[in-house]
Amino acid sequence: MSDQQVPDTTTTSNSGTVGYRYAEQHSPPPAERVTDVAITTFEHVFEVDPRLMERWVLQQEFPNWDSLRIMNSRHDHLDWMHRHFAERVVTGSELLAEIETEQPAGGQR
Amino acid sequence: MTQPHEPPIRPDSLSGPFTPGMRDNADDLASMPDEIARPFELADGSSPSQEFAEQWRNASYNCFSSGHKFCREVCPVMQVTRNESWTPTAFHANVVAMERGELEVADVAADYVNCTQCGACELRCPNTLFTGDFYKFRTRTVDVVKAVRAFAVESAVHQPQWKLWNERTNERTHEPVLGQTPVSQERVRDWADGLDLPVGGETVLFVDCEAAFYRTSVPRAVAQVLRLAGYEFGLMGEQWCCGGPAAEMGYVEQAKRFAQHNLDNWRSTGTKRVLVLDPHDYITFTEDYPKYFGADYDIEIVLVVELLAELIRGGRITPSVPVERTITYHDPCRLNKRKGIWKEPREILRAIPGLDFRDVDRVTQWSYCSGGGGGLPVEKPELTAAISANRLDQASALEVDTLVSACPWSERPLSKAGDDTDIDVVDIHELLAESLGITVGGSRGEIGDRRGRSR
Repeated sequence: MSDQQVPDTTTTSNSGTVGYRYAEQHSPPPAERVTDVAITTFEHVFEVDPRLMERWVLQQEFPNWDSLRIMNSRHDHLDWMHRHFAERVVTGSELLAEIETEQPAGGQR
Repeated sequence: MTQPHEPPIRPDSLSGPFTPGMRDNADDLASMPDEIARPFELADGSSPSQEFAEQWRNASYNCFSSGHKFCREVCPVMQVTRNESWTPTAFHANVVAMERGELEVADVAADYVNCTQCGACELRCPNTLFTGDFYKFRTRTVDVVKAVRAFAVESAVHQPQWKLWNERTNERTHEPVLGQTPVSQERVRDWADGLDLPVGGETVLFVDCEAAFYRTSVPRAVAQVLRLAGYEFGLMGEQWCCGGPAAEMGYVEQAKRFAQHNLDNWRSTGTKRVLVLDPHDYITFTEDYPKYFGADYDIEIVLVVELLAELIRGGRITPSVPVERTITYHDPCRLNKRKGIWKEPREILRAIPGLDFRDVDRVTQWSYCSGGGGGLPVEKPELTAAISANRLDQASALEVDTLVSACPWSERPLSKAGDDTDIDVVDIHELLAESLGITVGGSRGEIGDRRGRSR
């Protein structure tokens, strides 16, 4: 290694964006209540009040990266759906007008 | 004519929308009756399959009782086989059938081979994508498949090639990626010949078996790029296989033993941070090891491709040598689908001058796969080849000359399929090193080396 090399802090995940550490992944931001039955932690991440998941179906262990991955993937997927299938919003009345134009007067389908 | 007796209808979400638990609900909606669900009780005299199924019944009913089947068309195995017994739905339904005493694990163990553990089905499932983070309860196909495979091994139901693979891995402490040519502890650092890298230290580079022994150009590229950036790191003292493939194939005891060795070795050299160039290792170190060791697991795991993007962003490396290739990027399943990592590889590729980058977005790529994961190429190489051929057809339609990946395990099957379609398969780290003026050295595998010589 060359003399110019220095101990690296680039990847300390306390300050940076990369790096997995168990303790950080299992410490979400403090929950804020948004309704009687829902809380929020990270921006755009909403969760059911965990007290409602203590009886029949228990919650799974969710490290932070997993909640964020799902939330981000959902947004990406919805964008993708809009790009592929919703370039134009068509109202029902427009569709009806289109059908009436195509049909001869008094014609039936 | 008398009307049949209609039971009184209790107000619920069908008669008027409401959210259970809200304080402003009407009195008769204030609490839900216990009759909506009952705790599951295992009958006396249950079979081992039923006892196993009890642990996975919630995860399995999550799929079985909804039956969306959005998973089908993103599943790489389903795409090439159309076999209903090899779908994520079937993998969950089998567990339900085991719970009801209609199946034993031996009846279905061979079906569970047909999964690359790419995670597409989990992510595309509405129970993950639309509600998983809300309920902290998502579809767990990969875990279910791993658990059934482990239960099969525990029940002495083995798949022949997996058994042999793991026996050899156990003997040699590394996967037998070179076939009859032995791999060994003495040769695990051969890829670094001439690079004069130290051993141990606060930060070490972990190199997976495929890259350490077969596609050695990848770790050589990574090591030299990091050195150029002035990033301090060493090699691992006594590196064994990460244990991830053994866990994927059901050999859990072996996987845990290898994990314990690696953790002990990191601690013995004062290592606090492990750099990982292989997405499969990244999954093992950030999902399997935390399950094995819990809060005692105090090692920071850094994915090299994320680190390199950060080094480019910070100006510590600047690719400047033009690379004249028309490329598309293959999102490795374990990065894109299972970890949501897709931006950084694209940042790196867009920083390389000369490239004509014909990108396919990460959501479209949820249905792409190399077929190289989950032990599939070991037990069913013909299925891996069919999935790889599919992936190269997708690349071919873009009229590219190069498919770039960021996963050494994908690159061998993709290279084989690429040879048939005259498309080079190059690792992103190799490409970045080239653009930094580094002569990488090492091997790009049999096909990569041959195509490289004739290029």
